[in-house]
Amino acid sequence: MYSSTLKLTVSHAPFWHDGSSTASKSRNILLASLLAVVPGFYQYGQAAVGVVAVAIASAIIWELLINFISRRPVSVGDGNAAVIGMMLAMMMPATTPWWAVVTGTFFAVVIGKEIFGGIGANPFNPAVLAMTILMLGWAPLFDFNAALLNYSFDFKAIYPLVLSKSFGASAVASFTMMDLLKGHQIGGIGATCGLGLIAAGIYLMIRGFIRWEISISFLLGIFAAALCFKWIDPLYAGPEFHLFTGYTLIGAFFLATEDASSPVNFIPMLIYGFLGGLLTVMIRNIGVHIDGVLYAVLIINLVHPMVDKIRPKAIGKGV
Amino acid sequence: MIKRPFFGIVKPKLHYERINEAPAEPTVVKPSKKITLYIKHAAEGAQGSLLKSGDPVKNGQKVALTEQADTYLLASRSGRISGISPFVGILGENFTAVTIDIDADASQTMDDYFKSITQTPSLEKARDLLAGLPGKPDFNVFFDPDYPVKTIVVLGADSDLLSTTRQYFVKNNIISIKTGIDFLRKMSGIHDVILIVPQHLAQVAGTSGATVNTVDSEYPSAHPHLIRQHVLSTEASDPGAGVAFFSAEAVSAIGAAFNTGKLPLEKLISFISKDGTRRLVSAPIGTPVQDILNEFNEKLGEGDQLIVGGPLTGISVYTADYPVMPDTDTLIVQSKGQVAERDGAACTNCGGCVRMCPAGIQVNLLVRYLEARQYQEAADQYDLFSCIECGFCSYVCESRIPVFQHIRLAKYTLERMKEAEEKNV
Repeated sequence: MYSSTLKLTVSHAPFWHDGSSTASKSRNILLASLLAVVPGFYQYGQAAVGVVAVAIASAIIWELLINFISRRPVSVGDGNAAVIGMMLAMMMPATTPWWAVVTGTFFAVVIGKEIFGGIGANPFNPAVLAMTILMLGWAPLFDFNAALLNYSFDFKAIYPLVLSKSFGASAVASFTMMDLLKGHQIGGIGATCGLGLIAAGIYLMIRGFIRWEISISFLLGIFAAALCFKWIDPLYAGPEFHLFTGYTLIGAFFLATEDASSPVNFIPMLIYGFLGGLLTVMIRNIGVHIDGVLYAVLIINLVHPMVDKIRPKAIGKGV
Repeated sequence: MIKRPFFGIVKPKLHYERINEAPAEPTVVKPSKKITLYIKHAAEGAQGSLLKSGDPVKNGQKVALTEQADTYLLASRSGRISGISPFVGILGENFTAVTIDIDADASQTMDDYFKSITQTPSLEKARDLLAGLPGKPDFNVFFDPDYPVKTIVVLGADSDLLSTTRQYFVKNNIISIKTGIDFLRKMSGIHDVILIVPQHLAQVAGTSGATVNTVDSEYPSAHPHLIRQHVLSTEASDPGAGVAFFSAEAVSAIGAAFNTGKLPLEKLISFISKDGTRRLVSAPIGTPVQDILNEFNEKLGEGDQLIVGGPLTGISVYTADYPVMPDTDTLIVQSKGQVAERDGAACTNCGGCVRMCPAGIQVNLLVRYLEARQYQEAADQYDLFSCIECGFCSYVCESRIPVFQHIRLAKYTLERMKEAEEKNV
């Protein structure tokens, strides 16, 4: 009965799409991260460029290899591997040897993401997981004081969190907030320039690429916890120190907000972020590790499915 | 197509089409050679089918496969049946396509069964004959003993974007809507009739004799479930109470039918061509879409998309022979380049769907079960049946997963399984 041989496209409703895609999100995250990474390049020179380039390239190659081995469609186009490489490089000191970077991206892309089923299936933030493994496995490489020994800076070249951990608040009194924001501190390639990270974070939040509830509550958690510690014992460094040192800002805007390992409902997001901030300061102040962000993020990643059970009732369900 | 707002921190908002102050008269399109009626009934299962190829059909005659069938359509032209064939819908629903070669306009023979019942209208008769009217009035809801109907809601706000069909009837045919409401009241004995209109039509709606309530212009506020939830009084929004929803077009058609003794079988359609021009078209039910395209010189090319229904909830069809159905409010032609890309990528848990969902469903978790075809789990734990089918989840999906199709398919499959179980008991 059908007279025509014309082939029409048949697809599913809805026939409109808002145009968003995983690839454009990754692109925007990469662009925003440049705001923090470029000051790092300026500070640490060619070595930093090398680490970032090797990290991104190797992350993409690992994903391609896994695609090939597992005979799945090539997924590097979504940009997620590049983002993971970038995140990892941002946390590393500029002097990280190439083999450590490549091992790191292996842990991130293969162990952290692909063996769980690829994008969206990772229980932990892949970059954080990899960085934790590296820091436990090759601790001397990631001791920022030792790693950056051969650089000469025009500011106090000692990792602020080490100072506060060992000598308390008075030792870090010389770090002014402005110095910390401007990146006058040593640390990861893309983790020290506070202003750049905040600008990137604000951009990603207003564009809706990260969930602002998580970032804001993470920072609030840090602020509240540090305030409590200082209030109980003035020996502990204050909130303004904890907010702008170590991995705090990169954690708030890039690490804790990773899609697959964070909740999506409003109240769970607030709990998740706040808990992350709280744990960070607790680990820094009374834990054995120097920076708490990585462990805090791993722990909140772990509890996210449980927190996300706090949700509104769907229409027509319950009272 | 409306894109994601630059400031993605706010939810994208889609607004219903607003009818012009003085809408142009609809273009009248006549079927050229034949009409096709898609009856939702499997051709094979119809034992002792009433229809045979070659049978004459009168204008306004009820076309059903069996005597007891509750699904039927009304022939909008007289002629002879030239073909009866099975047709499978997008979810696998079984239809029977009845093609009728129509008589010339001058020699139309009218069916006078309806005229004989206009004096004593009743819900039984309405269910038996009027469910094929444009706007697809559903009278079965009055016969459900579990949910006695207390309220009748007439929807004067359109069901999907781009359509202005229902608004047109509120604006131009409020008198026949009033007559329709009076007949509904008389037949059902229910006096609580509510007319739902967009704000700009509140004034004209006031003359209908029904209680007027307004909904705002943001999609999907005019959805029956949400109207029930937010607009109706507390007793009517109680899930145990029956509410009969009718589109303004259907009520207007009921009014016109009883007024004139003749069944109005012209469907009002908002037609959106490739270049985005919007036109109102009036075409008899069963008219092949091709006839409407010809009227406007709209040429279909390879890879174009023909959408029957709105941009968010319609279906795309593979042939322009597809007919106008009683509930076809919108007809959209998209060129190959406008077709929204879909992909089979995995859910990244970005949460966009959860934020948009007007029913409060955890779509990110639901879709994982649906993709694995664990439909029963999805229904038991992840609120599958709370879905009101607005299409937002797929609209915002970053991974471009056809979430909405997964949901429709899951619901349909579960309903089929339930039916089969009931049959076997």
